[in-house]
Order: sequence, then C-alpha cells, then structure tokens
Amino acid sequence: MAILDKFSGLAARYEQLKASGGDPFSIQFDDIISSVEGVVKGKRTLLFGTNNYLGLTFDPISMERSIDAIRKHGTGTTGSRIANGSYREHEKLERELADFYGHEHCMVFSTGYQANLAMISTLVGKDDHLIIDADSHASIYDASRLGHAPVVRFRHNNPEDLAKRLARLKDQPGEKLIVVEGIYSMLGDTAPLKEFVDVKREFGAYLMVDEAHSMGVLGQRGRGLAEREGVEEDVDFVVGTFSKSLASVGGFCVSSVEGFDILRLAARPYMFTASLPPAIIASTLSALETLRNEPQRRAKLRANSRRFYNGLKDAGFTVGPEANPIVAVILNDPAVATMFWKRLVDEGMYLNLALPPATPNSSAFLRSSVSAAHTEEHIDFAIALMTRVGREFGILPEAPEYSNVTPFPRVSAERLSARAATAPARRRAADVGAGMA
Amino acid sequence: MTEDRVALISEISEVLETVTNKAIELKPGMNIVNDLGLDSIAVMNFCMALEDRFDISIPLHDMASVVTVDDLASTIETLRSNA
Repeated sequence: MAILDKFSGLAARYEQLKASGGDPFSIQFDDIISSVEGVVKGKRTLLFGTNNYLGLTFDPISMERSIDAIRKHGTGTTGSRIANGSYREHEKLERELADFYGHEHCMVFSTGYQANLAMISTLVGKDDHLIIDADSHASIYDASRLGHAPVVRFRHNNPEDLAKRLARLKDQPGEKLIVVEGIYSMLGDTAPLKEFVDVKREFGAYLMVDEAHSMGVLGQRGRGLAEREGVEEDVDFVVGTFSKSLASVGGFCVSSVEGFDILRLAARPYMFTASLPPAIIASTLSALETLRNEPQRRAKLRANSRRFYNGLKDAGFTVGPEANPIVAVILNDPAVATMFWKRLVDEGMYLNLALPPATPNSSAFLRSSVSAAHTEEHIDFAIALMTRVGREFGILPEAPEYSNVTPFPRVSAERLSARAATAPARRRAADVGAGMA
Repeated sequence: MTEDRVALISEISEVLETVTNKAIELKPGMNIVNDLGLDSIAVMNFCMALEDRFDISIPLHDMASVVTVDDLASTIETLRSNA
C-alpha cells in the first residue's frame, strides 16, 4: 500500500463524501435511451449533465454512417498516424473542419484533452511565454506542465490584468501565447474576447481560444464565441472537441499560421497515441454536416437555455452570470450541494456535482448542461423539481402551496427496445400457458 | 537575517493576509503548504497577489520549487533584481 500512501488525504475526503450519502464519481447508467434520457437504478432519469448540446448522440444518419464505416474499414486504426499512416477519412475530417472555420490548416486528435495538451505544450518552448486564464480547464494546466515555457496566470476574464502581466514580460525575448476559453465549463460565462484581442494586438502576442463548449452553441454559423464577437481574424488558433456538440470523441485545432503542419512531427500527444477509429470519424463528419445545415438546433438550444436559466433564477437560485447552455446553481456548502445532487438523482434528474478544487472560490455547484433535444416539458420538470428540493433544503423560501411530488414528464423519444430497461419483458399469457403444458 | 529580508518577509505576510483573510506571522523556516495550510489553488492565488505587490512575474514552475517562506523571499529577491 505504501506507494498509494500519498493519496490517504484524498481517500479520506472521498470516504467522507460517500458517507454524506452521495457519490458523484461512481454513478452508473443502466441504460441510455435517448440523448436526454437514461435509466439509473431502474428509474427513468432525465439527463441534464451531458454536454450533448445539439442532441446528436442518437442521430440516425450519424449512427448509420458509423456502422457503415466499421463494416468498410474495421473497428480501429490500431496505432498512431505517424507510425501506422492516416486513413483518407482523417484527412477528410481535417479538411471539413478547416473549411468550416475558414482556416488553412487543421489537426485532429483522439480527445479534446489531447488537443489542448498537444497544441499548448508544443507551440510555446522554453524561451517563450504561456499566459493563461486562472480558471482554465485542467487540460490547459496540464499542457502548461508538459511544455517548457514559463507559465503566468491572469485573473479570470480580466483583460486589464492580462495587460498588466504582459507588460511585465514586454522586454523579455520569446513569443507570447495567450489561452482563453469561449464558454467556461463550470459557470457557463464567456470570455470578453474583443477586449482580449485588443490586448493581444497591443503586445504582439498570439491568441488561442478553446471553443469546446461554444462550438455549435454560439455564433450565427455555430463556430463559437470568436464568431459571435466578430474577432475570428485575430484568433490564431482555435481548439475544440468532438465530444460535446458533435456527439462523439476527439479534438481538433484549426489555424492559418504558416508552416502549421510541422506540428505533426513535434506534438507528442499527437504523435504517440492511436488515431481516431473509422466509426468516430464517420459520425463526427455527419454531425458537423448537421451542425452546419440545421441552425434551428442552435435556436432551440438557446431558447431552452434561457428557459432553464431564467426559471431557476426566478425561483430564487444563485446562478452563473450568463444564460448559456451551461447553467450552474451556486451552493456554497459542498455538503449541502452533495445532498441536493443525490435527491435530484433519486427523483429522476441527473446533473453534474461540481466540488472544489474543480470550482472557482472553493464553492460548490449543481452544474447542468441544456440540450436542443430537451423539450419544454423536460425543462419545466427540472425547474419544478429543483425548486421543490431547494425549498425543502431551506435554500429557497417556502411556497404557499406545497406538493412533494413533481410529475415526471411523458417520454419524448426513445431508442426502440429501451423499454426493457425499466419494465422487464413479460411473455404473453398464451405463451405462459403453452410453457406450462 | 538582513534587515531587507525581515522587511520583505513582513511585506509577504501582508500579501498573504489579503489572500487568506487572516493574520499570519511568517517565519523564514515555515513550510508554505504544510504550516500555512494553503492548498494548491490558494498558493496560485498567493502567487498572483505577490506578482502584483512586487510588480514581478513569478512563473508557476518557479513557484513549484519554493518550499519555505525563506525560499519564497529569495525567489522574489532574485526576480526583483532581474527586473
């Protein structure tokens, strides 16, 4: 056990969390029925913690194309593109993404985490400088440790603070790379990108925007925050993921910086990992087509986000600063947040429990992500349930009329054969009789 | 310990107070993580506050090698003399 002794503090905290009745790290779905419904402990459950923004995980065309790709090209590539070579489809996906963003170049990665790890750790070297937002995603922090550039942090979403820190580095040689995110994954707030672009120009730095949570969500064409803010030309590198709006797994970086492709021979997280399998590439290409051709999904997502955000805010909850698909209810006490989360799961609503140190300011959040596939009924059920539990927990004031039941919404859509997960199939009476004979 | 060092450590104490919201009397041999009860995030916030107070840039890597209050004072002195 000695080698694991250093985790005794962490293990004790985990035990304490489990003893408080909720264990968000081991929740298991018996079945997933649609992009917004699953089964937990035999109970039909609405999914509000999936990042499945466009609701495309069960898109019939994407599924068919994935199956077809497996039939034609097999289940895996069994190696990296450097060692085993690229399939034509890897390059097709890169061309399509570059085209979507209007950039010259694209590299795809096996996860979104690896996209950040590879790009950030490779772009800046020991004589350069990496400047990151203090509330950056773990993949950005990990990239800063894998690379050799000195790392400086600036206060979250604060362009003045960024400028102050760049000013201190003004006379130091080397390139400067600023990394920010389109939508921050915990509170759902967006970066003040126009102001960051002004600072970037003033100091001659490069700018990377991680659009993981904003691709397919923001901008008229769904390219993300840089598109919405009209500053795409000033963003040197866009990174993103396939595991949210595009409903699969993988990551990418697009850019028009000259000589970009040399990174394929320098970025270790790209070079030394197995490449995306054919089924993933096929469904990702299909989802990208849908993202481009069906802006109505974005409109529905926006309407759903506003309905949920405003509903929780009007009920009296403390929510994040903006009505984006990530909706966080801020509860300062992690123990209360854990009990609240468990109650919601027990009553048929799954969402994410965000605890320190993953949260800013040691707070605890109930973090939801809204999908275009949610119906208004789903959203209203979630608001009513959270409001009722909020009152029971004394977080919200008591209501004059009280009911301890929130009716579960009718089934909106489900996979064929999914009913077996909640109601075991019974043989018809005639069959039973026949069996007895 | 030189007078400059004493003054610097007292200035570091003031910065720490703004981060933790409690008064802590720093001694040169104190371990920043264990004795001050700072978690990794508090250390990073402490680092940003020190950058602002002393108008220096403390790369995260440099902070990783700092164990005691005295190490921290030395790091700040070096960065200030380079500035």
